[in-house]
Amino acid sequence: MSHTEKKKKNPKPSEKNLRVGLADGIIKASPEPRLALPLRQPPGEEPRPAGPAPSPMDLRAGDSWGLLACLCTVLWHLPAVPALNRTGDPGPGPSIQKTYDLTRYLEHQLRSLAGTYLNYLGPPFNEPDFNPPRLGAETLPRATVNLDVWRSLNDKLRLTQNYEAYSHLLCYLRGLNRQAATAELRRSLAHFCTSLQGLLGSIAGVMAALGYPLPQPLPGTEPTWAPGPAHSDFLQKMDDFWLLKELQTWLWRSAKDFNRLKKKMQPPAAAVTLPLEAHGF
Amino acid sequence: MAAPVPWACCAVLAATAVVYAQRHSPQEVPHVQYERLGSDVTLPCGTANWDAAVTWRVNGTDLAPDLLNGSQLVLHGLELGHSGLYACFHRDSWHLRHQVLLHVGLPPREPVLSCRSNTYPKGFYCSWHLPTPTYIPNTFNVTVLHGSKIMVCEKDPALKNRCHIRYMHLFSTIKYKVSISVSNALGHNATAITFDEFTIVKPDPPENVVARPVPSNPRRLEVTWQTPSTWPDPESFPLKFFLRYRPLILDQWQHVELSDGTTHTITDAYAGKEYIIQVAA
Repeated sequence: MSHTEKKKKNPKPSEKNLRVGLADGIIKASPEPRLALPLRQPPGEEPRPAGPAPSPMDLRAGDSWGLLACLCTVLWHLPAVPALNRTGDPGPGPSIQKTYDLTRYLEHQLRSLAGTYLNYLGPPFNEPDFNPPRLGAETLPRATVNLDVWRSLNDKLRLTQNYEAYSHLLCYLRGLNRQAATAELRRSLAHFCTSLQGLLGSIAGVMAALGYPLPQPLPGTEPTWAPGPAHSDFLQKMDDFWLLKELQTWLWRSAKDFNRLKKKMQPPAAAVTLPLEAHGF
Repeated sequence: MAAPVPWACCAVLAATAVVYAQRHSPQEVPHVQYERLGSDVTLPCGTANWDAAVTWRVNGTDLAPDLLNGSQLVLHGLELGHSGLYACFHRDSWHLRHQVLLHVGLPPREPVLSCRSNTYPKGFYCSWHLPTPTYIPNTFNVTVLHGSKIMVCEKDPALKNRCHIRYMHLFSTIKYKVSISVSNALGHNATAITFDEFTIVKPDPPENVVARPVPSNPRRLEVTWQTPSTWPDPESFPLKFFLRYRPLILDQWQHVELSDGTTHTITDAYAGKEYIIQVAA
């Protein structure tokens, strides 16, 4: 099986399929890892509440992370339901590959989205050397991890961390979408949210295929709606900046996570191509 | 009787030594002086009076008296060739009065600093150079900051303008800031660069690129190579390769992108023609 492709520059072959317009307010989660393309939802599958629509609620008062986190509770449950319906998989290999491809696609998409959004925030956020200390934004899931810890993560933990991170990030991103000023920004953000939702579904599929339970929020930790302290405009922008930064870093990390998983899942025949020498690493 | 003789010898030797020391100038070690290229300099003959009669020599060659201002040597528009050992002698006795080791050079311009990770995720290195030479010795001082944390940059054992940093944490959202200051006897300068962890990742070229003809088919070439040996973990951090080839007689390259594997078969080679093939990691 050759991965050779003659092409000029990137777009991944799956990219075309993801460029479907989003109907406002409808979130689709992909249950099928084989499809892993969130927007080709088979028509019969809609028993989901239409609740987590991003726009209709007017949540401007006291925008804060806690406020947005309430949506996360709904999103937690979304991919879980369909994942139970699956039968007869060929194994997690192809879905891990698709998940990997999705992270690369999202990384690519985020590049232009972040550029646009940071320009919208204005200086200093859009300056290349902008290097603020990390204050606030404590509830954001952090991709950074000690090197040895990362290497020794077991598969379940690795997948769980990714899943939880993107669930949170998606929730915050939807909050961003509500505040975004221009229609174009809202469109780009919505498109990205959809793709991110697809990634979540893809990860859920992999976890289901491997028999791992999807992380559910513990009853005590479910965030409830509460008006947070009023953020200054600048602090809000800082939060947005760190959100995009974490997204970018998580996508960079996830590609490595899924590649590691992919290599582990490879059938023994292909093991011949893996360099098995220790690099003292 | 034997005793007073050696004692007398010692006394004579001691006296000679004292006289010798008094006759010769007190400085055994020449005075070191740095001067700027293109400038003018006046070298006094040590503590001699202005009207003392002296002769100057450079590297053993006499200098013309028209360069003298009294007992001082005047040099206009210093060039690199003016560097050398200048000595002034008492004209009649040839007693050495003073020596100056003159170095003509320049203060440092802003250094050029770049960092790269060819051993991701182990660490990265930074190297620097001056855009124009100073012709005199320079000292460099490098500091690496990750957020507010200072990181150690270990000097490269072989290359004097390079140092190495180990990553402590991966997937960090906080930028690295590397600053360098350079100074010499004529001045100093500094610069700094800031970057994200993932923007400096750049592997070394692939190794051992070999092209072999395919026995049964004159239009095919089998190209094989290895992952660069400096890349510590190709499994978790896989490399993508770009291959390009053309016959020497043509200008147009054929490009191939390979997301996996370290081998490729060219199938459209012209039989009997010499080819150039390049592989990038």
